[in-house]
Amino acid sequence: MVEFLQFTLNGVVFGMIYAAIALSLVLIWRGTRLLNFAQGGMAMLTTYIAIEVIYKTHSYWAGFVIALVAGLILGAASELTVVRPTTGKPELNAVIVTIGLLIFFEGLAGILFGGQFRSFPAGFSITGLKVGGTPLGVSRFDVFTVAAVLLTTLILAVVFRYTTAGLRMRAAAFNATIARLSGIRVARVLTVGWALAGLLGALAGVLVTPSTFLYPNSMDAIFVLGFTAAVIGGLDSPAGAVIGGLLLGIALSYVGGYLNSDLTSLVALGILVAVLMIRPNGLFAGARMRRV
Amino acid sequence: MSSAANGSGPAAGAGSAGAAGGPEMGTASPAAGESASLAVEELVAGYGEVVALDGVTVTAGAGGITAVLGANGAGKTTLLRAVSGMIKARRGRILLADHDVAGRSPEQIVRAGIAHVPEGQGVIPELTVEENLRIGMMSWRRGPRADRVAALEEEYARFKPLADRRRKLASTLSGGERQMLVIARALLARPRVLLLDEPSLGLAPRVMAQVMDLVVRLSRERGLTIVLVEQNARAALAIADHGVVLNLGRVVATADAASLAADVALRHHYLGF
Repeated sequence: MVEFLQFTLNGVVFGMIYAAIALSLVLIWRGTRLLNFAQGGMAMLTTYIAIEVIYKTHSYWAGFVIALVAGLILGAASELTVVRPTTGKPELNAVIVTIGLLIFFEGLAGILFGGQFRSFPAGFSITGLKVGGTPLGVSRFDVFTVAAVLLTTLILAVVFRYTTAGLRMRAAAFNATIARLSGIRVARVLTVGWALAGLLGALAGVLVTPSTFLYPNSMDAIFVLGFTAAVIGGLDSPAGAVIGGLLLGIALSYVGGYLNSDLTSLVALGILVAVLMIRPNGLFAGARMRRV
Repeated sequence: MSSAANGSGPAAGAGSAGAAGGPEMGTASPAAGESASLAVEELVAGYGEVVALDGVTVTAGAGGITAVLGANGAGKTTLLRAVSGMIKARRGRILLADHDVAGRSPEQIVRAGIAHVPEGQGVIPELTVEENLRIGMMSWRRGPRADRVAALEEEYARFKPLADRRRKLASTLSGGERQMLVIARALLARPRVLLLDEPSLGLAPRVMAQVMDLVVRLSRERGLTIVLVEQNARAALAIADHGVVLNLGRVVATADAASLAADVALRHHYLGF
């Protein structure tokens, strides 16, 4: 029973990280119907920026905040400089551009920071918490990870649901033609979407890297898991992305805990294939009502 | 053949239609802004290699209804798309009250005072009725929230069925209610010129009549300049002041609506009634 609780909580922690990546993919997908293959690369690069700031300032929080800001800027800059010129061109152009961006970011990180594995500090203690002497299998930093992703998701949900800026973004995502004809600067909205996706990626990067290592390809596997989570939840559904991330995190934690940790990648791939075959729009894709 | 400018106000003969109104619609309010003429001069536009408009000249007089008619592929929808900036004009001028807006983006053009209600895709079903309406005010410059609330309430007074369903998803509306919604949203942009593309498409005859009555009322009571693209030429000419007939991207006839409706040869060749 204790093992089950530990695996579940551990799965929730990693699930929230997958959810952050999934949410960043959903943000861009909804607006542009583009899968951003560079998302992991952006997260990796901002995590390098964070570690450099932490080394220089000796402040984890300075690095944390700078990483988030860098994510915003990197996302917006990517959209403005290389993605926007593909607007109106064949869809494959934009896909190839994001793959090119990923290669560029990983190459740039190798040149600037080297290819060796680097450890990344945690903002809180990584000692396991206990309740009445029973280890929970999660640390204070894990609690912070869950809280940070949940809070960010909540803020985004409130902004999208209750503000004019959020309505603008939703309108642009659902129907860019109507949005433009109503005076919404859709191109600007898409830039904001990419910036927010960059922020979420940066958040995932600084939260997951204390559990792994930092190197130019370090976010590739996380990206694949985040993508899997997004597919599970439905690439059109922000709530589905979060739930998909949680389901995937918990499932993989059980597999790693009860079976063999070497199987987790295989199981993730199996889940991805199964969802695509059985319910390609995702488990939580909204059913659209049409009345004629 | 090029068109003659309309330049006139509303035709007196259409007054009865304007007074009729639809049974589900409230009273119209005074004009929100001054009306303006729209003049398209020698417009060339198209898609890729295809030239869909080849030197089209059309003038819509301030405060009147101009019907743009023709068979499928004549260039009617392309004309509206070019005027609203959805496709770039390759040549020619688009004058809104003598200011050339050709080449501007759709966002700039709606701010200049031209609202476009496109064919069959106007409602965003994932949003509520009120959210769909609020989108119509996105072109406003910053101003007091009270102004926006008042503008919304004005449209709710005009379109009472929308007021009752303001919190419902737009996907739950009937065809007629959806058409009300997209027109109300366009009005919230405070346009001087309203481009309507097939507003009666897919509607039951009774609802279509209501929509046509609404178009007349918007022109007569609010002073809007309306460019109406319609497959149903008979219905369009019945409410229009002026008409333009397109064929294969060129203007083949332009005259006052009554003259076009009386031209048997023209009706037979191009208008299908």
